[in-house]
Amino acid sequence: MTKLIQNRRGFIKSAAATGLILSSPAYLRTASAQGAGQVNVWAYDGFVPGDFVDQFQDETGIKVNMRLVDDQGKQFNLMAAERQSPTADIVTVAGHRFLQFIDSDLIAPLDTSRLSNWGAINPVFSESDWSTVSGNKWGVPILSGAEIMAYNSDMATIDQPSSWDTMFSDEWAGQNAYILQDMFSIVMLYLGYDGNMVAYMDDPEEAARIVNETRDFLIENKSKVRKYYDAGAEIQQMFINQDVSVAHSWNGPIAKLIADGFPVKMTIPKEGSYGFVYTLNVAQGGPNTDNAYTFLDFLMSKPEYGAEMSRQSGFISTYKGASDHLSDEEKAATSFPEEELSRLQFFRAEANEMKYALVDRAVEEVRAA
Amino acid sequence: MSLSDTTPPPGDRNDMPFWGRVATSPSYRRFSDAMLSSPGRQFAMLAVIPILWVLLTHLGPLLQMFRVSLLDAYPPTRDIAPQFTTEHYGLFFKDQLFFAPFMRTLVFSLSLTLITLVVVYPVAYFLARHVKRNNQLLFLMLLLIPFWAGEIIRSYAMMLMLGNNGAINLALRAVGLIDRPIPFMYTNFAVSFAIIYLTALYMLLPLYSALEKIPQSFSEAAADLGAGPLKRFWRVTLPLSLDGVASGCTLVFLISTGIYAVPVLFGGPSTTTFAETIAGFFHVAGDRWPTGAAFSIIMLITALTITMVFNRLIKMLQKEKHR
Repeated sequence: MTKLIQNRRGFIKSAAATGLILSSPAYLRTASAQGAGQVNVWAYDGFVPGDFVDQFQDETGIKVNMRLVDDQGKQFNLMAAERQSPTADIVTVAGHRFLQFIDSDLIAPLDTSRLSNWGAINPVFSESDWSTVSGNKWGVPILSGAEIMAYNSDMATIDQPSSWDTMFSDEWAGQNAYILQDMFSIVMLYLGYDGNMVAYMDDPEEAARIVNETRDFLIENKSKVRKYYDAGAEIQQMFINQDVSVAHSWNGPIAKLIADGFPVKMTIPKEGSYGFVYTLNVAQGGPNTDNAYTFLDFLMSKPEYGAEMSRQSGFISTYKGASDHLSDEEKAATSFPEEELSRLQFFRAEANEMKYALVDRAVEEVRAA
Repeated sequence: MSLSDTTPPPGDRNDMPFWGRVATSPSYRRFSDAMLSSPGRQFAMLAVIPILWVLLTHLGPLLQMFRVSLLDAYPPTRDIAPQFTTEHYGLFFKDQLFFAPFMRTLVFSLSLTLITLVVVYPVAYFLARHVKRNNQLLFLMLLLIPFWAGEIIRSYAMMLMLGNNGAINLALRAVGLIDRPIPFMYTNFAVSFAIIYLTALYMLLPLYSALEKIPQSFSEAAADLGAGPLKRFWRVTLPLSLDGVASGCTLVFLISTGIYAVPVLFGGPSTTTFAETIAGFFHVAGDRWPTGAAFSIIMLITALTITMVFNRLIKMLQKEKHR
């Protein structure tokens, strides 16, 4: 057999290289997640503008490590999986998902006394009932959104669809799309029930019956759906490619299309819909909690930052005076008429455990049908 | 001369750089003498790294997923230690709900493997048997160009092509064949088209490799004995390329059963694959990873069993042909 290792020096080099390679994951983790002067932020695309990050880094010397998230469930699971050694300092939780993260000890109560700019947030959001759980605040409200119906204004033959009926009509069969799990709440509302399911907390049988009725309705209308999608970017792509003409969506991605000049409009249909607020939260046991507070306070320091977040994400800013820094076109893209806004109610979390135990299974049944 | 004969006097070692001092230290010398004393030990030393690599990066995650599949909840709930259970495996067999996407995925993957073979075989045949040897590398490079881009990039490019406003529909409208766009996207057709496109290379390379090895003289001899082109292909070329068929089909089938991005991007409401069902358990906030992990293991075992049976059949076929 040929001599495989030529000499000692070669052997040492090989061993050193191997040791370096094998030890690199631990080294990298330490450097990226636990080093001083850093803050690890998990947020949706556009929620933390790049210009803000540059200014924050320049003025504080704290390096911002961004990680994009696109789904509350995925974020929850990632945080739960690294519970023993969290890497996130700030995460993005929708207000109606607070309880799940709090119950699982994944986010920490917010010490608002450490945030000198807390007053920059509109009290409609910062002091609302959902924002206080167990006597504590749990996050900084940054953006507000809604479940809306969007339509291609060039292709839709009617002036303005005003009912969720449009989503299930034969006329638009094969030209619509929706987020299946979100659609359960909306269809419950459309069928005359409480999509938050708070009204049925004491009657699990009735709750199950309503979810089953909703499931059957969605299965009945399944052949008319072009696509069940998950992310905002997907519905933007579908509208641009003219693969759909009407769709259920969050207002943010559609507002972005409107601002970019694409012929799409959105409405809150007459049966009503649900609104939600995104908050930035301090992760429980994160490696750089002090920097997380510095980051949050800096983010609230100027209404311009709120305007830029709104511009980048398409959602409505929760900052006082943010709209003063938006153009008329941008304001139009991110706002609704008063009449439509009156149809909006906020998602509530009280019945989430019961609701999602039923809805998660029903979603699978619709997909499998 | 033994390696230790080259040890310098102790006084000289202090003048050496760090690695020199390590290399000449007695404990290191004893260790390296033991490890390098025979070619067999040297081989073992070198084999340790690749074996560790395979264990850590390939088998490790699978074993971890198998462990998760036997837990009652994961990620672990606060203050509750997970218990071992097989209930997640039982759920698959008890609940018909998950059987539909499971069977759909298997049938879909088998069909796509067959279609990919039928589509790619002539390309590989042409490349191996009719392109001059000097030009074969150039042809292979041309076929490989799209694969220089990532899978997601290629997928989005394909989406732009198949969309209502995509190149195919625009072309059909331009030549007056259609008035309204054909909805290619979010259908079984779109998913199939994309998977065949993305996996074609995994079929092409083994087929090309097998076909390229068959001596041209075999075909010429068969022709001299009066066999026509079809008979030569059926009795000579195909049997001798069965190894390539087996490798290509195995790769394409295994990739198809687990492929996730394509059905998500190209699929519609009625194309839900088992990979999407499994992903659902990992995406939903909660502790349902074990169900997803158990379903992954079930699909893995099923897919491996099918490929083992398929490869056994190919071997039997080869023996039959050699008689």
